[in-house]
Amino acid sequence: MFIDIDCSQMKKYNQNAYGDYFVSKRYPDEARLIAVLSDGLGSGIKANILSCMTATMLLRFIESQQISIRHAAEIIMNSLPVCKIRHISYSTFSAIDVNDDGNAKIVEEGNPEFIWIRNNEVLQPDYEIIQSKTFKNRKMKIYKIELKLGDRLVFCSDGVTQAGLGGGRLKLGLRRDGLIVLLKDKLKEHPDISSSELSQYLVNQARNIETDRNPKDDISACVLYFREPRESLVFTGPPYHQSKDAEYARMFENFKGKKAVCGGTTANLISRELNKPITMDNTISIGKLPSCSYMDGVDLVTEGILTLTKTLEYLESGTTDIDNAAGKLVNFLLDSDCINFMVGAKLNQAHYDPALPVEIEIRKNIIKKISDVLQNKYFKKVSIKYM
Amino acid sequence: MDKKVSVKVCLGTTCFVMGSANLQELIEQVPKKYGDKVDVSGVPCLGLCSIDWEFSKAPYVKVNDEVVKEATVEKVLATIEKHLK
Repeated sequence: MFIDIDCSQMKKYNQNAYGDYFVSKRYPDEARLIAVLSDGLGSGIKANILSCMTATMLLRFIESQQISIRHAAEIIMNSLPVCKIRHISYSTFSAIDVNDDGNAKIVEEGNPEFIWIRNNEVLQPDYEIIQSKTFKNRKMKIYKIELKLGDRLVFCSDGVTQAGLGGGRLKLGLRRDGLIVLLKDKLKEHPDISSSELSQYLVNQARNIETDRNPKDDISACVLYFREPRESLVFTGPPYHQSKDAEYARMFENFKGKKAVCGGTTANLISRELNKPITMDNTISIGKLPSCSYMDGVDLVTEGILTLTKTLEYLESGTTDIDNAAGKLVNFLLDSDCINFMVGAKLNQAHYDPALPVEIEIRKNIIKKISDVLQNKYFKKVSIKYM
Repeated sequence: MDKKVSVKVCLGTTCFVMGSANLQELIEQVPKKYGDKVDVSGVPCLGLCSIDWEFSKAPYVKVNDEVVKEATVEKVLATIEKHLK
């Protein structure tokens, strides 16, 4: 199963920093994912620091595998200081440690209970309560659950459940029940909605019920969706040994999933080996990039280095919906869960001529950077094969 | 004799940065001027820069089998004229 995870956030009105902090990391070797959402006391910079420290430390504790998630969370719970004025803990947290088979361990301290949805019904999992040894009024919940294909988990900060609190229509705020209604309605309408869209939707809805649409607290919604992975392959650069062209081209042809070719020479290679003609539009460039070409059975064919460099730029800045080759490649990548790169190691000497008006990056380096941003910013699974 | 002239503009990385990006004009002008006697299109790569990389004369355009080096709109139009004769 692939875990589609995303978190959307909104700052408290008039603040310039997020008081909630979300962090997530995939461990491809172990087919495992850890995510932590923490809500810091107060708002603005102070809350940001508190929640960031809690979330990142908890993630580190859990990933080290020297102690269990339960133990890690217990240590944090017992150590979090109490605010002298408000007499409540400096931060609250929810954390999940889950593998691709759907075995999940979840801990919660102070955050609203997570929502588990299967076939558009909310499941009520069993949990164990652990009382803090150092603080009387502090306890955490531990869940051990097994997820199935199609399940969704929703974690949120109290900014969501308390949205609209004290306002006209919902005196007690949205609350968990209101959130469940929102979720079910949306899922009935769009059963296959991505985590990114769903989390964005929840945050927007929470904001809409706030008086004057000004959030009175930081709002965060994190969604996990367990589904079949959407696989894709990007073939870029000719193989180091030309004798292997045919072999790699066959691997490309046999791949099940979406396919892209990035590079003029590479496109010619695939066209030659697989005997598929290349056609082009009647344009040369769109948005300072060479325009795309077309090949039967390939979803996207673009030029190489320039397009990849621009793609990296768009991915880093979060620019989407651009109508050029790089914009198309960005959409191609973001519409996939598992992205495989086949990267040819052959260099074209002409690219390193100092007389060229722009500097041309080394293919391997760009792919490495694209892979990093896809993993760290967009939570994709990425594998790179050099050839 | 009504031979069709084929014009292929290289859109590989080297050619593109060396100026084939500016040859869009050909795609617009040539059909107006020569109708369907001349066929202009981009190609992903002509593979010429990597062969002659030390003395690269990109951007390259191929008019039938003739390679136009350091191609400009004028040079390509002149070569088309030659081939139409």
